[in-house]
Amino acid sequence: MIEVDESTLIRCAICGAVNMDKGKKNICRRCHSSIKDKHFSTQKSWAYLITGMIAYIPANMYPILISTQFGQTEGSTILGGVIFLWEHGSYPIAMVIFFASIIIPVLKFLILIYLLISVKYPLGKDKKVTKHKLYYMTEVIGPWSMIDVFVVAVLSALIHLSMVSIVAGTAVTAFAISVFFTLLSAHAFDARLIKENC
Amino acid sequence: MKLENEDALDNYIICHQCLTLHEEIAIADGSHACCTGCGGVLYRYNTQRIDHGLALSITGLIFFALANFFPLVQIEVLGTEQFITISKTIFTLFESGFYLVGLICAFLIFIFPLMIFLINLCVFALLKAQKGKKITKELLVLLAYITPWSMTDIFLVSILVALVKLIGYAQIHIGVAFWALLVFVLIDVYLVKRIQIFEIWMLHKRIFAHKDEV
Repeated sequence: MIEVDESTLIRCAICGAVNMDKGKKNICRRCHSSIKDKHFSTQKSWAYLITGMIAYIPANMYPILISTQFGQTEGSTILGGVIFLWEHGSYPIAMVIFFASIIIPVLKFLILIYLLISVKYPLGKDKKVTKHKLYYMTEVIGPWSMIDVFVVAVLSALIHLSMVSIVAGTAVTAFAISVFFTLLSAHAFDARLIKENC
Repeated sequence: MKLENEDALDNYIICHQCLTLHEEIAIADGSHACCTGCGGVLYRYNTQRIDHGLALSITGLIFFALANFFPLVQIEVLGTEQFITISKTIFTLFESGFYLVGLICAFLIFIFPLMIFLINLCVFALLKAQKGKKITKELLVLLAYITPWSMTDIFLVSILVALVKLIGYAQIHIGVAFWALLVFVLIDVYLVKRIQIFEIWMLHKRIFAHKDEV
């Protein structure tokens, strides 16, 4: 018989097995993958998040779509595209693009910043369940910001005529990098820290 | 909390959403257990899981092949026709110099979904045959790493968004591959996004523990 303290039990992120916390290096007893170190994970999460936020700036400055119509070249940024769609009456699509490329990334930055600060400093101590929900939400809705990148990819593959053509702009790369790094940041964040700091 | 040995921890489960500790209990066939903390689903129990999994992964692979070989959508502008396939979408990005985005897209909408279904097929086939304890373990670990990175469902919605943008400028014909992709996404949501890998580990343990006894 062994005595186990319930609060020291940890979950393997890969296979979901319950493990005992044995100090610095934890190896899952079922799938033998290493369980991430909770103190190192915050730093990694910050690093990825800051990279994502920096990449988000050029993603909004440079044109994401460059359309050529009868010799006239015109570039449109993410926000410019949304405004164009809104003015032309495509409200649902304008809303989808607005949500996927502006609301979701910004919301993700804010939620991750809030979570990362709150595990270090006493902030919203009594809102444990809300924080877990927030974290889970960022993981679920996060990938949906890729919509804009895919839309650009589809449009540029589809509109390839002699008179009219659409080419992807610089912002696509920046935006894809931004989304990729925020996803990494959310994965690197350890939800265990929410529990411990409440 | 007192335990016999470390392996007795297998009878416990930690909620993946809010990390509350629960003791695993036997539940009726076809039902699921919920977390007391956040209400999320902890695990499901279904005696037909392996058969369903096997059948659905094969179906998924067939539809994925269809989705790749036929055109997704076809448009008509000013008398000229254009169509796209999944591979053409990716190659256009490469051709116009967006290597990084092209690579990311190739992984997210082609390589990872294909790998996930192949791994699922292998895992369920091995579990069905009750063979290959080690290789199943490694496949399940790999599966856990790539599952969050499959985005065919998002790609499907993106195609729709792109098409709605084109309404009024071009005549749009939806191709066979689009419907195949739709079915593939539905199977993907049912098989991969809904079933947690933890449940396959439970099956793995039950089957091989039973086999070791015999």
